[in-house]
Amino acid sequence: MKNLYLPITVDHIARVEGKGGVEIVVGDDGVKEVKLNIIEGPRFFEAITIGKKLDEALAVYPRICSFCSAAHKLTAVEAAEKAVGFEVREEIQALREVLYIGDMIESHALHLYLLVLPDYMGYSNPLKMLDKYKKEINIALDLKNLGSWMMDELGARAIHQENVVMGGFGKLPDKTTLEKMKKRLQEALPLAEYTFELFSKLEQYEEVEGPIIHMAVRPRGDVYGIYGDAISVSDGFEFPSEGYKKHMVERVVEHSFAKHSFYNGEKPFMTGAISRVVNHADKLYGRAKELYESHKDLLRPTNPFANNLAQALELVYFMERGIDLIDEALAKWPIRPRDEVDVKDGFGVSTTEAPRGILVYALEVKDGRVAYADIITPTAFNLAMMEVHVRMMAEKHYNDDPERLKLLAEMVVRAYDPCISCSVHVARL
Amino acid sequence: MEGKVRIGFYALTSCYGCQLRFAMMDEILQLLPNAEIVCWYMLDRDSSEDEPVDIAFIEGSVSTEEEVELVKKIRENAKIVVAVGACATQGGVQSWEKDKSLEELWKAVYGDGKVKFEPKMAEPLENYIKVDYRIYGCPPEKKDFIYAIGTFLVGSWPEDIDYPVCLECRLKGNTCILIEKGEPCLGPITRAGCDARCPSYGIACIGCRGAIGYDVAWFDSLARTFKEKGLTKEEILERMKIFNAHNPKLEEMVDKVFQFQGVKE
Repeated sequence: MKNLYLPITVDHIARVEGKGGVEIVVGDDGVKEVKLNIIEGPRFFEAITIGKKLDEALAVYPRICSFCSAAHKLTAVEAAEKAVGFEVREEIQALREVLYIGDMIESHALHLYLLVLPDYMGYSNPLKMLDKYKKEINIALDLKNLGSWMMDELGARAIHQENVVMGGFGKLPDKTTLEKMKKRLQEALPLAEYTFELFSKLEQYEEVEGPIIHMAVRPRGDVYGIYGDAISVSDGFEFPSEGYKKHMVERVVEHSFAKHSFYNGEKPFMTGAISRVVNHADKLYGRAKELYESHKDLLRPTNPFANNLAQALELVYFMERGIDLIDEALAKWPIRPRDEVDVKDGFGVSTTEAPRGILVYALEVKDGRVAYADIITPTAFNLAMMEVHVRMMAEKHYNDDPERLKLLAEMVVRAYDPCISCSVHVARL
Repeated sequence: MEGKVRIGFYALTSCYGCQLRFAMMDEILQLLPNAEIVCWYMLDRDSSEDEPVDIAFIEGSVSTEEEVELVKKIRENAKIVVAVGACATQGGVQSWEKDKSLEELWKAVYGDGKVKFEPKMAEPLENYIKVDYRIYGCPPEKKDFIYAIGTFLVGSWPEDIDYPVCLECRLKGNTCILIEKGEPCLGPITRAGCDARCPSYGIACIGCRGAIGYDVAWFDSLARTFKEKGLTKEEILERMKIFNAHNPKLEEMVDKVFQFQGVKE
């Protein structure tokens, strides 16, 4: 007689953005099935914005996700500007990147300290860590406050930044505020380094060790960064952003409101901080470069848990980068915040690096309205690879206490820093 | 209330921005001696929707059949239910195209693909359960949370805001975006409380805090101004519906402007 197995399920993965679950089905011969169930409702963002006025659609897109609303806003606005044939001035581009860095700092700090660290320290909730890890919680709050303050100043608000518009910004902070921002970034650098040191000591589970295809946006100007017009693959291939549909192929899967993506239609792949580091570490500079060189063995391309440490490395990097970009903008002071944009018909693709990986916006504009929209988010790109890694973990631990297996499976998912709300906005076929 | 106040934070379909806004408040730490957070999936693995709570904060719109059941369960387990943010109070931006059929939207996005969950068009909480209090905004302001929790903790009720963003904007001395710049600012019909955040940056209000309640949102009057500036009825409705798609007065009041030309044209 066959044994009777019940699926091991986490109905609702905690400490991630959005609602998703894990289901692991075990049979006589081991793990039969692993599914990441995305249970957040569908949100139809592309469909609801088609036919709408461009500026109104641009106000709505960031609402796909709060954790990376600046990423969505800036990528959507760039896609729209490309579509109508407009390019912002260098100093505006620099300040947009500073805003993006604010998002990066806040998102990474929240993820590392409040979502990831409790698992390692044996807590269900970061607030319960206060007695023993007050210092860590305070660092988390300081870093998070810095990131959200940067977004408040440059975006008008830390979540859903209405101040970013086609042609530039509605209004810019004054010079003293930017100087203060630079100073606060300098002061926060030791906190970022402490974070890197802390995360370099945490276990990266060898159960999930194996080859991974990494994809990342090739940064403009050959300096490690956020904006770029081509996608690099860790196998050496590179393609222009416009070709994303050909090489990052999406499919609907029945257990999820979010689609899965495959490299050249076949292979799951990963995107995120570790993928950026794997593909573009040669473009790092400053203290981050030193830290990378001395910790290469931990920042390896074969383990999804390395994504946590890669985020910590980026905290260091983006603080230094932010300081340089503010200097660039200050050198051109006073800056006119906004240029007139002539909204012509056209099509534009923008690819940027959101905190959790490649974000694609493709927009077609006709008569001032959105004629076509395709948005693909990092979590949607990562889902297929995430399932592979949860399976690897399950195959090693399916005989363990189910509670232990559940925790390990959740930890794999959390290492990817998924943004589930993002993934269910869902793209047109 | 005796002992610690039991709080739950729940999410339906949303961007998680209201929870993030809440989580970004350092003031939560000051709250901990007086309150116990019983359910909050975004931060706590030990969360459960089955636990009884004194105050349930719910963000997100009801967007699947499963969420209909969930929201009823939360209501049963809670003394006070607070709808938080534009999705929970107004259906959210995902309601913008509420008049298109679900099938049409589904087909545009998923093609013939099927998933095993039951989707539905996004709706605000009050279409399914009794809501005791609302915190508005996309996302809400920090002070909205502090004010609401503070008043609950002293056993009182927070007051609603019944005046428009315009009032706060004028007090700040901003140039009027609608009258002086001719942009379609929704400040005159939108509930205040954001300190005219967007207009202060030179950006026209898109109405994220929703239309002012108590039937004092004069959609018709603003529609008339928009019409004079050359906007069509469809353009006016589109803009007003970004955050007000479920408002029962909206279409009727805008219709009036286009059907009845008035004595003086």
